[in-house]
Amino acid sequence: MVFREIVSMGKKQLRPAIIIFLLLTVLTGLLYPLVVTGLAQLIFPSQANGNLIEHDGKVVGSALIGQPFTSPGYFWGRPSATSPEPYNAGSSSGSNLGPSNPALIDAVKARVDAFHAADPANTLPIPVDLVTASGSGLDPDISVAAAYYQVPRVARARNLSEQDLNALVALHIEGRQFGIFGEPRVNVLSLNLAVDDLAAHRISLPEQASQVPPGKYTDVIIFGMREADWIQLILFFAVAAALIVPLGGFMAGVYTGKPTFISPVTDPIERWLLSASGVKADEEMDWRMFAVAVMIFSVLCIVAVFLLQEVQQFLPLNPAGLGPVPWDLSLNTAVSFATNTNWQFYVPETTVSYLTQMAGLAVQNFASAAKGMAVLIALIYAFSRRSASTIGNFWVLLTRSVMILLPISLIIALVLVSQGTVQTFSGPVTVPLLDPVKDSSGNLITTQTISVGPAASQIAIKMLGTNGGGFFNANSAHPFENPTPFSNFIENLSLLIIAAALCYTFGRMIGSGRKGIAILTAMTILFLPFVGIAIWSEAGGNPAFTSLGIDQNPMHAQPGGNMEGKEVRFGIVPSALFSVSTTATSCGAVNSMHDSYMPLGGLTQLLLLQLGEVVYGGVGSGLYGMLVFVIIAMFIAGLMVGRTPELYGKKIEPREMALATIIILIPIFLILTGSAIAVMTALGRAAVLNPGPHGFSEILYAFSSTTANNGSAFAGLSANLFYNLATAVTMFLGRYAVTIVTLALAGSLVTKKIVPVSEGTLRDHRPLFILWVVFVVLIIGALSFFPALSLGPVIEYLIQIGRGVIHV
Amino acid sequence: MSEPVGAKNPAVNQSALYKRAIIDSVIKLDPRTLYRNVVMFVVEIGSVLTTLLWLQALAGHGEAPAGFIGAIAAWLWFTVLFANFAEALAEGRGKAQAEALRRMRQDTAAKRLNPECRFEKGKEAVPWDYTVVSSSQLRKGDEFYVVAGDTIPVDGEVIEGIASVNESAITGESAPVIRESGEERSAVTGGTTILSDWLIVRVSANPGEGFLDHMISLVEGAKRQKTPNEIALNILLIGLTAVFIVVCGSLWAFSVYSVQVAGAGVPVTITVLVALLVCLMPTTIGGLLSAIGIAGMDRLIQRNVITTSGRAIEAAGDVDVLLLDKTGTITLGNRQAVELIPVDGTDIMELAEVSQLASLADETPEGRSIVVLVKERYGLRGRTVGPSESVPGMQFIPFSSHTRMSGVNHGEIQIRKGAADVMYAHIRASGNTVSDQLKKEVDAIAGAGGTPLIVSKSGRALGVINLKDIVKGGIKERFLQIRRMGIKTVMITGDNRLTAATIAAEAGVDDFLAQANPENKLKLIREYQTGGRMVAMTGDGTNDAPALAQADVAVAMNTGTQPAREAANMIDLDSNPTKLIDIVEIGKQLLMTRGALTTFSIANDIAKYFAIIPAAFVSTYPALAALNVMGLQHAVLSAVIFNALIIVALIPLALRGVSYRPMSAEEALRNNIIIYGIGGVIAPFIGIKIIDILLVMMGA
Repeated sequence: MVFREIVSMGKKQLRPAIIIFLLLTVLTGLLYPLVVTGLAQLIFPSQANGNLIEHDGKVVGSALIGQPFTSPGYFWGRPSATSPEPYNAGSSSGSNLGPSNPALIDAVKARVDAFHAADPANTLPIPVDLVTASGSGLDPDISVAAAYYQVPRVARARNLSEQDLNALVALHIEGRQFGIFGEPRVNVLSLNLAVDDLAAHRISLPEQASQVPPGKYTDVIIFGMREADWIQLILFFAVAAALIVPLGGFMAGVYTGKPTFISPVTDPIERWLLSASGVKADEEMDWRMFAVAVMIFSVLCIVAVFLLQEVQQFLPLNPAGLGPVPWDLSLNTAVSFATNTNWQFYVPETTVSYLTQMAGLAVQNFASAAKGMAVLIALIYAFSRRSASTIGNFWVLLTRSVMILLPISLIIALVLVSQGTVQTFSGPVTVPLLDPVKDSSGNLITTQTISVGPAASQIAIKMLGTNGGGFFNANSAHPFENPTPFSNFIENLSLLIIAAALCYTFGRMIGSGRKGIAILTAMTILFLPFVGIAIWSEAGGNPAFTSLGIDQNPMHAQPGGNMEGKEVRFGIVPSALFSVSTTATSCGAVNSMHDSYMPLGGLTQLLLLQLGEVVYGGVGSGLYGMLVFVIIAMFIAGLMVGRTPELYGKKIEPREMALATIIILIPIFLILTGSAIAVMTALGRAAVLNPGPHGFSEILYAFSSTTANNGSAFAGLSANLFYNLATAVTMFLGRYAVTIVTLALAGSLVTKKIVPVSEGTLRDHRPLFILWVVFVVLIIGALSFFPALSLGPVIEYLIQIGRGVIHV
Repeated sequence: MSEPVGAKNPAVNQSALYKRAIIDSVIKLDPRTLYRNVVMFVVEIGSVLTTLLWLQALAGHGEAPAGFIGAIAAWLWFTVLFANFAEALAEGRGKAQAEALRRMRQDTAAKRLNPECRFEKGKEAVPWDYTVVSSSQLRKGDEFYVVAGDTIPVDGEVIEGIASVNESAITGESAPVIRESGEERSAVTGGTTILSDWLIVRVSANPGEGFLDHMISLVEGAKRQKTPNEIALNILLIGLTAVFIVVCGSLWAFSVYSVQVAGAGVPVTITVLVALLVCLMPTTIGGLLSAIGIAGMDRLIQRNVITTSGRAIEAAGDVDVLLLDKTGTITLGNRQAVELIPVDGTDIMELAEVSQLASLADETPEGRSIVVLVKERYGLRGRTVGPSESVPGMQFIPFSSHTRMSGVNHGEIQIRKGAADVMYAHIRASGNTVSDQLKKEVDAIAGAGGTPLIVSKSGRALGVINLKDIVKGGIKERFLQIRRMGIKTVMITGDNRLTAATIAAEAGVDDFLAQANPENKLKLIREYQTGGRMVAMTGDGTNDAPALAQADVAVAMNTGTQPAREAANMIDLDSNPTKLIDIVEIGKQLLMTRGALTTFSIANDIAKYFAIIPAAFVSTYPALAALNVMGLQHAVLSAVIFNALIIVALIPLALRGVSYRPMSAEEALRNNIIIYGIGGVIAPFIGIKIIDILLVMMGA
């Protein structure tokens, strides 16, 4: 009976689903990247094509992509964990070694020994970035301290004076961008080109340049953090805060059909999309119809992305000539992108064609985010309407969400291109290596093949839609994906700004902006301590390195701290902030390798995933998840004040509690049973990279991240049949089971009348209640995951700080 | 003040109560009934499981020492038993009251009127009019006759006669009450006895459906249905239980894996996992939830309120608007003279004397109040003169609805007092004019909400008596409290707007409905409800019945008419209109107790994690000992014992309810979070440590 009803609903929604899907593919998968490419090639041709450096009329490399240097006569760059050879720009990657992994300690020790062997006279502590692998494996920079540290060796090998080399280094120092963002640093390739020139007397140093002393600068330390770090942090929150009201208000305007500054452009597109698909804008749906529409559209998306990967070899825009993707990996990827997870078991550069990325994956970046926003608006209607039965029209809300995302993405894409993110349809670029290197099987490698592509258009929506799926394997650690500290600032901002501003949209749409701000405040209260812990944990460095003669102190000339898996241009604070932002929202993009974070840094990421992605969370999904926690918090609080609980005027009764409880239960169940099955199966255990508790964290992280639709990873975990399928299941259920039950909740709430506020009402926006919500979110997350976490990051931390004294 | 039903029965022996509860708590272990309480049912399964493991250990194949498993198993059983005990105790208290009530319900003889019997108004029945039957044979609509000394067999409505009735058996009030046919005081309750005169009563409820039966089944908990909030909370508790089952189940897999990768220790035992599960599950609130509900009902009955559903109590906690009758609730019930104002140069003493004379024969409370005022303010001794007594030369004119005046004729002199309009006519008829000063004084009193009475002597106005409604002492403070609870008070009165507004302002109510009638009362309630408000009201008259039926919480006075009692969902045996406030408080207290114990239960878990997790995994990861912040030696057992004992410790709180005083929602939340949230985090750290120390001292 119910089944037949659903089938008939499905028949009704199939036509709009197919047509809207096709039209969105044309709009966001073809037109949008073409427009971005056109503009990028016109305005920023050099940046859009990879910032290639010409030397004596020949292309010698990219200013953004590092090259390997092993000769003593060159300044060495960061260690690179790419394979088979270091600095393989066709397959970016970090080491993913955990902080307590003996393999990491051994590797670092070997690098320290190599420096000492090359220059036995130099007994200074080695700057940490010189002996730890970067997140991308392509980091073009080293810290200022790391450059100066190498001056004696290079000087001796090249027969140059140390003073001249010091001056040369000083000339090549790039300060913080705009004096604010990132770390001061030295581009290794351009420094080495200059060293060659200097040695060949092709250039001479200006007089005053040689006066620059090589010594370390001091930096003002405020509450344990450098002044520059504070400025970046405060600026970030200030800019984010300033955007909430205008952006949130703008979105509320779009959803309520009020004219906004973009409506002259978007309204005709919206009307065209809807009329072409036969949707009547004023035809409202009840929650069942809404859920059926969401599911049909989602399944269609999954099937389409799956098929596209299987036939990409027959289609255009495949300059690298990539073949079909294995079915299980393809399924995993399809589910991953349709669910806004963007978990990536595949290496993009070597697996998917430009067309698959643009017309398959990037379309999903728009569509999955827009679905989340549409479901949120349905839930908002459930609160704002009294005694109604419908919760909006999915197709209208979906289209309006895309109309919000598209113009903002366009702007962000162009900003990214201006910073050096590539946007081209050309194939990989091959450049000669200045200092040829041997690969892992001993072959001499003399060239570097650099992957490029239409990246900026996809990265913009990857961040804005909290998708997180990288165009390149190393994601936002890759110098083409996130070229500068400023691009990093923009990416970090855009990954949480929509989710945060939707709180205000919510408030406006239920008639009280401050109720939205109250939820945003609760989220921010949850967010800040995690930022603090992550920064503190990463800035402290790895205690295993202290005995190796490595300098991990943050100061002006080097970021210091735990630099394994991090990029020099960002340094510690922007990396830690990014990692917390990306796990707090359901973005999952990474600008540093989470697997290599210190135990407490990793703990913050894991716990944020496990709290249910409600601290800002995914666009739409974060707020509707948070509202479920608010319902539970209000229920208990309401009992404590002696009244049947009501939230935003809607009474919370058994049906709402049942649905809210199920929504809370789903992710906990998926994460814990998924991880339990993984540790009990051979395939599940085989994929682990790091030994001991950290390996367990990798498994736990995989299920937490996929269930929460985050997509970031403790990336040491490798893909296999078990994980491809198991995480496809957790991603699917983590998204759609929650979505359907949320819509049922909306369907139940919308029928209720709105109880007016009386003196006895517990106000749902006052500080005490906000703190109570924070407490409820934390305690549900902590109680569910504390045992598992104690066998992962917690014990890793305890072992690391050496309190492992046995007393029974 | 009335005595509560329970307290009035010293037969309720405390030790017998406990004995019965202990036996019941064992009987309640039966899984066929226990499954309804999901949390406790899971604990019982855990108890069975650990008992089996204990037996296995005794046989020499144990996963841990038999002594340890046995101790855990025993304390898990205690956990279930303690929860059962709480419920049994709450039920037991109700049962004891029910017993006392049931004794009153025992079959009595009833004089059922024969169908062919027709009696005339005011005519007492004679023996050949009725047949003596057992009270259980009476059916709704039958009529019976009761006379002094009889016990009223069943509930009914008086259709003839007037009698004094002893209702102390149900109300605890020893003074007899008058029951008579007509609107006001026509309902009688089975089990009460006639003290004087006789009544003819029409049966209003079949056997087993009367008030006593309702009350009995309610106090026994037999008919107790779960209320919406209780169901919602139960869902949350089941959800949390499911979470912890998944947590503990997956933990076993994680433990096996950790042993593999660490190459040390042994996987966590089933016993410890079950112990962890039971400690984490919300056993405190799960074990006490039904006891809280039963005890809430019990508290209501102790205040002499019968309710027909538990929902009504819960709804009482949600009430936003309280409709209160002015008379008897807000005011003392009668207007009283507060001031004499002479006009047209009359001497105040003359006015006082004449006023006294005019009121001597006036037996109404207003009249009495004039005599009292004159005596107290002007020192004129009251002369006791009744209307029947003949004082030489004096002829008393009683108040009549025709003249609407009262007074006295003393020879030529005619003394009159009455309402302004009739007195104006009287003055003019006597050939005098109504002076401007008189009009001004009359209007001033009416404008201030009082009732002016004009006093005249031989058709000449001497002055005006100001009669005022006297607001009950302390009522303003009471309303202030109600307002702080977030409830709006609305006064219902038949007075005109002006008078109503004055009283409303004086009493401190938020709003009023003047010139109330059944229609506009009903309309007012509907308006509030359409706006999403929950409305409570009290009433006693038949004309209140529609409004009572519409209100969310409707309290009828026991003295009220049968239609009023039937329309209400609660009946106040004391017939005290301010009881509504108590009912609201009980409703709130019920929810608050549940919320507070839920918070406490969840907050407790933090300490239990710190106790059990290090103990469970220290063999694999010795460094986890750092989490053993309490330095426990018998961590698992201590946590389990604490978890069981805390149920016992909180039984009194569950039965009594958390302390309640009117305050804002914010304040209530803050207080409860501090006590039960923060307290709930800290208490188990201390409790578990103390138990651990004791276990160490006992050498366990």
